[in-house]
Amino acid sequence: MRVFWEMTKRSFQRYLTYRAAALAGLATNFFFGLLRMAILLALYGERPQVAGLTVADVITYSALSQALIGYLSIFGWYDLMNSVYTGEIGSDLLKPLGLMRFWLAQDVGRALVNFLLRGVLIMVAFELVVDLVYPQTAVSWLHVLCTLILGWLVSFGFRFLVNLASFWSPDARGMGRFAFLSATFFCGQLMPIRFFPDWLQGWLQFTPFPAMFNTTIEIYLGTLTGTAVYLALLNQLLWAIGLLLVGQWVLQTAVRRLVIQGG
Amino acid sequence: MITVQNLQKHFKLNKQYRGAWGSVRTLFSREYEVVKAVDDISFEVARGELVGYLGPNGAGKSTTIKMLTGLLVPSGGELAVNGRLPWRDRQAYVARIGAVFGQRTTLWWDLPVIESLELLQHIYHVPNGRFRQNLADFETMLELKPFLNTPVRSLSLGQRMRADLCAALLHDPDLLFLDEPTIGLDVVAKERIRQFIRHVNRERGTTVLLTTHDLSDVQKLCDRVLIIDRGKLLYDGSLDALQTRFGGRRELVVDLAEPYSDVSVAGATVVARENGRVTYQFTREEIGASELIGRLSQRFRIQDLAVREPDIEATVRRIYEERLLEN
Repeated sequence: MRVFWEMTKRSFQRYLTYRAAALAGLATNFFFGLLRMAILLALYGERPQVAGLTVADVITYSALSQALIGYLSIFGWYDLMNSVYTGEIGSDLLKPLGLMRFWLAQDVGRALVNFLLRGVLIMVAFELVVDLVYPQTAVSWLHVLCTLILGWLVSFGFRFLVNLASFWSPDARGMGRFAFLSATFFCGQLMPIRFFPDWLQGWLQFTPFPAMFNTTIEIYLGTLTGTAVYLALLNQLLWAIGLLLVGQWVLQTAVRRLVIQGG
Repeated sequence: MITVQNLQKHFKLNKQYRGAWGSVRTLFSREYEVVKAVDDISFEVARGELVGYLGPNGAGKSTTIKMLTGLLVPSGGELAVNGRLPWRDRQAYVARIGAVFGQRTTLWWDLPVIESLELLQHIYHVPNGRFRQNLADFETMLELKPFLNTPVRSLSLGQRMRADLCAALLHDPDLLFLDEPTIGLDVVAKERIRQFIRHVNRERGTTVLLTTHDLSDVQKLCDRVLIIDRGKLLYDGSLDALQTRFGGRRELVVDLAEPYSDVSVAGATVVARENGRVTYQFTREEIGASELIGRLSQRFRIQDLAVREPDIEATVRRIYEERLLEN
């Protein structure tokens, strides 16, 4: 645990050194957010509500979906892949460390920096120009905190698995791009899943994508209430555990393959 | 410490066919070629030895090192370090070894050196007192102090290498792997690193396996060298013995004060002569340098002279090129 904490601390420090990049990302995310709000408002027209989301909800949704891009690394994360291709993974394997724990600790630091620098700041910026809605009670804030953490874990589990493809393919980047693009769409980052046709919403229940992002939105906006909130959190937790277990198993297979066949 | 017996590593490469039709055939072909990267190698390294591991590119050096560090599983033969099989329990095994690969760093690129070192303390579970003691020692010997708080990306190559050496030794490993630890460094930096390696080997008793293309590293550090080529171990012994066996001859260059018509001398042969400068070749077994000089000074008036030792680089180059060691 101590090792994990020490790694997280340094990863946090390390990502803080990329402040300028994070702030540049923030600016981009902010303007795209405004653009998306304008489009959604145009689509709403005179209607006060679409698929259970009010105008204020959908504005807040747009803000959140821009604010969490960095935190969840929705558009893609290739660090593990790169370490396989550059051979850095060799030095990591020479240290008495579990590889998954090592990357998880680093991702905590990365996610925290992005949450604070890009997430929180961008919400403050949006608050200044549009009307956002907020959870009303302390308990709802607690739910939001839980769903944010679980959503990040699910996204990490997914990203980790995608990156493991690099052990089998000499160029898994293309596959990665496809996987991340699909995730962006199916997790509800481009459009709330409520707007999708029913049959697609049905299918998506059987994938981890909504648990990365859409669940967080639903809990934040209060479209889920009562026990539904707890079921949604449980669903996220199960996806997180499932993905991490599969990731660990695939990683072991990958490393075994690497040490037997050579890199 | 290290026991290697009939060690083998074979890689299967899918057979590649030529041409457009060939590439389709390649796709469906189940045929493959076996590349014997390491082919039946045996040696032992005792605790406290400092051994050089030499060979041309593609000889199988890094494959051997990868097997010794647990990154590759052998295809055959036996391999044990400290009685352990390196790949069996990776985390437990690597906790007792250290490694520096000159071409890449184990330190975190964006963080100050000290941060990486302290993180390694936690990763290897080094007790605080021991860590402080080791760090203090290495700090002085490697002169780390001026750049401990500098991010690794801003270090010069020499500084980075010193930091990496420190990082590899903080947990008191029994066995240290060094791969090209002086590559790209200037003469002063090389010398400092060599002194440090020697110190670690002698004072701390760390067993060192040094892979390098820089023969002066080996010449100054290693009592024993292993030479490998095409997956086979060709030589196991001292560099001096290798030199006597295959080495060029020693040379004595003499500037004569007066012109002589006959400059020959017993025990040496004249190989070059221009103006007053004569170059003799001789071997260690036949005649010592001082005796030869004595004979010459009896016969000639000598202005100046210099002994040239045979060049180890040239010897090893000949061994690689002419395959002198293969039967």
